[in-house]
Amino acid sequence: MIDQVRDIVKNRLGEGRVEGVIGLKLEHGQAAPCLFTKVDEVDSLVLSPKYPLSTLCRLIISKRPEARLGIVAFGCDERALVELAKANQVDLNRIEILGVACTEEQARECRCERPYPSQRLVGEKVEGAPDERGDELLGKSLENRYEFWTRQFNKCIKCYGCRNVCPMCFCKDCALEQAINVRRGELPPDFPIYHFIRAYDTIGRCIGCGECERACPMDIPLTTLYRLLRKDVKELFGYEAGLDVEKPIPLATILEYLKEGGSKE
Amino acid sequence: MKKAEESRGAGERGGEGFEPRIVGFLCRWCAYAGADLAGTSRIKYPPNVMPIRVMCSGRVDPVFVIKALMEGADGVLIAGCHPGDCHYRGGNYIARKRFLAMQRLLDYLGIDPKRVRLEWISASEGTRYAETVADFTSQIRKLGPISLKVVG
Repeated sequence: MIDQVRDIVKNRLGEGRVEGVIGLKLEHGQAAPCLFTKVDEVDSLVLSPKYPLSTLCRLIISKRPEARLGIVAFGCDERALVELAKANQVDLNRIEILGVACTEEQARECRCERPYPSQRLVGEKVEGAPDERGDELLGKSLENRYEFWTRQFNKCIKCYGCRNVCPMCFCKDCALEQAINVRRGELPPDFPIYHFIRAYDTIGRCIGCGECERACPMDIPLTTLYRLLRKDVKELFGYEAGLDVEKPIPLATILEYLKEGGSKE
Repeated sequence: MKKAEESRGAGERGGEGFEPRIVGFLCRWCAYAGADLAGTSRIKYPPNVMPIRVMCSGRVDPVFVIKALMEGADGVLIAGCHPGDCHYRGGNYIARKRFLAMQRLLDYLGIDPKRVRLEWISASEGTRYAETVADFTSQIRKLGPISLKVVG
């Protein structure tokens, strides 16, 4: 699989269709994000561990909007790019997505619902993995849920890792850094505002990459919450993040109502 | 005066004499005027809602709601114009979408979503405002005081 990916990347670079390809580079036994610009570098391209490469793409484009980039993208990376395009952070016309499907093992590890990109060049599509933790939570009473999350959120050391790693978090002024919301110098953050803001802000934007939970040094099961909310967004607004670039973000638009001439419900 | 201060301490507010504290975010064009009308029409309703005037129900960030609950409000009422009547064309639709999503989130976190309510109240509906407040207050009375500050 990796050879196939390397060949495609070499091909794109050789043809000059892109100026560089974003991927992971293995160097001194460590993988790090890299912008490949030369064909002979590509032999050090690797596919693991998981890394939110879409963020790299957004950062490069913010400095150099005219760049023509390729990106080695798993399902979640592609969805992130679609959502970023809706938020005017990247221009999909200038990005070539080199889609790679995840293996079953990777999908299980991420508890991923959709471990494949829509445009797939390499790999076989495998089915999404389940996450029982959501049902487990819903099986609890309100008091027990409250107790569960206080215990979980009290572990928080406010490292901001979940926010920093999130491909969808790009605001310059973050609500989590405003003292009126989250008191400075206090640990753990007051229940539940820090995680309430995080969770609320994922609504309609979370693409389910699971980076937040992987980044969390205290093992707070964040994706349990976010996955439930993704299900709700689908149920309430018929929206799934990252699938259709034409579909507007649900919480930012009311066009559907205005077109109807205003429903009375 | 002393009594009022005592009632402010969380955890001691349960039992017989529990008076719910409700924060009401009222839209400047409809619900706030509706509340005004309820007053000028001398309609009697419970004094438990502390109104905060906002320019639009769409201005109400869910962070305001959680903040209110954390600071000791037992319930939060958001009231705006009827669908189709928004002064800014669609702020109330935004409010509704946010509200639906926020309710689910509160539910998952173990905070009773019945503690928050969204209502459409026009400037001419003083009675409706009074009824809403009465109904919501009795609902919160049943749920009892909130204890978000108490960490288990």
